[in-house]
Amino acid sequence: MDFGSFLAAPEIKVKIITYRDIFQDKAMLENRFGEEYRDLSAVVKLDPADLKQLDVKKGETVILKNSFGRVVVKAEESGYETPHRGIAYMPKSPWSNMLISDETGGTGVPKFKDISVTVTSAKGEKVTELML
Amino acid sequence: MEKNYYVCTGCGLLCDDIEVESEKNIVNKVYTACRVGVAHMKEARRNEANFLVDNKPVDEATAIKEAASILKNAKNPLIFGLGTSINETQKAAIELAKKINATLDDTSSFCLGPLAEALIQDKLKTCTLDDVRNKADVIIYWGTDPSDSHPRQLSKYSYFPRGTEKQRGWEEERTAIAIDVRKSHTAKICGNYFFQIPPKGDAEFIDALIAGLSGKLPKTSYNYPPKKLLELANILKGAKFGVIFVGRGLIYSLENLEPLFKLMKILNEKANFHLIPMVGNCNTMGFNENLFAETGYVNSVKFENGTVKHGPEYSIVESLKAKSVDAALIIGSDPLLILPRSIAKNMLEIPVISMDHCETLTSKHSKVYINTAISGVEAGGSAIRMDGVKVSFEPAIETNHPSEEVILKKIMEAL
Ligand code: SF4
Repeated sequence: MDFGSFLAAPEIKVKIITYRDIFQDKAMLENRFGEEYRDLSAVVKLDPADLKQLDVKKGETVILKNSFGRVVVKAEESGYETPHRGIAYMPKSPWSNMLISDETGGTGVPKFKDISVTVTSAKGEKVTELML
Repeated sequence: MEKNYYVCTGCGLLCDDIEVESEKNIVNKVYTACRVGVAHMKEARRNEANFLVDNKPVDEATAIKEAASILKNAKNPLIFGLGTSINETQKAAIELAKKINATLDDTSSFCLGPLAEALIQDKLKTCTLDDVRNKADVIIYWGTDPSDSHPRQLSKYSYFPRGTEKQRGWEEERTAIAIDVRKSHTAKICGNYFFQIPPKGDAEFIDALIAGLSGKLPKTSYNYPPKKLLELANILKGAKFGVIFVGRGLIYSLENLEPLFKLMKILNEKANFHLIPMVGNCNTMGFNENLFAETGYVNSVKFENGTVKHGPEYSIVESLKAKSVDAALIIGSDPLLILPRSIAKNMLEIPVISMDHCETLTSKHSKVYINTAISGVEAGGSAIRMDGVKVSFEPAIETNHPSEEVILKKIMEAL
């Protein structure tokens, strides 16, 4: 019997910083319902040490979750030289938008750049499809 | 041979040096444009139906009638989008909003609206992108990554080109500086002049920079090395023609624009600095200017029997959150894609009319969808570049898709 499956998967908390990506923007113009746009959007870039703690290899999927939503996206290494544990990067997209608070303090401005989530391995679960 | 240059409406830069090869009104080749621009100019290859009601093809008259009836039956309709529409369409939309007592807003209410307003009211010193190309010696990218969002900004205007007073360009005569929370592609180009700050650290960084500019010791709670800050202050003090390109990264991190006003004031006491907003869409600036000319506000308004109300409660975000709008006309925008799902989901409960040149998340949820011509590629007109310069353009190809302006006028007539 595999006792490992009874143990809770390692979980970490990260803050997500969103960014624009020219390749992803181009893919959106070509087809926002297409695979290329999904592949370039449903991604989170983590510090290698965070990936290790999660027991997730680059290219595998992870679950990003908070009280506003849950998405499964592909985990990648950020490639930044300076370590940034606890901070993750995501291209701005409907996938990152699933995780943004509806709390605006009446300002009309959502907290696009202030996203906190927990990350766990998705254990092979597929990337979330675009919500139609 | 005389060449025809077209304007790319792919971003706020409105590049006016685009060459296009087309045959039978299909764009085959695009020269000079960036990757995004090429994809944008080729967007015209589409074969969707022009008019849908409940996702079924209908004729124009049926779609217009349905749209008019949705707007007529609504107590408080929302009109939103228009960032990629030509000035003429924006003015028609303002007229329509007045006529149906609508709430009217665009993306600037959750992007760079406050900055656009300050610039329109002459509260900040600005200049044109051509001035930047010809004169700028110190260029700051703050909370923005044009290499990804406005791909030709560095090569056409700000850093790499030769200019009338900058013959030796970036190698010797220009200093590019990036201030950001992450090492973006633009930050990489800036090399040693990349100043990485923690999220929400901008206001403190500005305070420390002001201290440095005034000869005091710059301090931050996140212990930014004072030596680096003083080095930055010294470069800025020596600027003969400085410019700060401000993006959403900076605006989202500030509670209000006060720190930026203070910084610009001191920079202009010690040197010569201008500010240009990194407006994303090709004519958000036009929307802000057109609405301001009509109402004195740049976004988030509600028309009511000849009067106009303004405030964040009339922004798309707050109207959807409070469910105060009961129908929506979305023009050239995809709120279901760009807004947080937690807010945009409320749009699924009201009848929506969408006008766009391709199917979007929003159009798929619309009662009425009208596939309109692409401004710039298929429809001529004028737009306001991110630096406030008006750019007029002719279409690159002909189309049988109706223009947004014509559709708005037809809806008005049908009301
Ligand atoms: S930089 Fe912007 S306007 Fe210029 S070609 Fe690229 S997308 Fe078009």
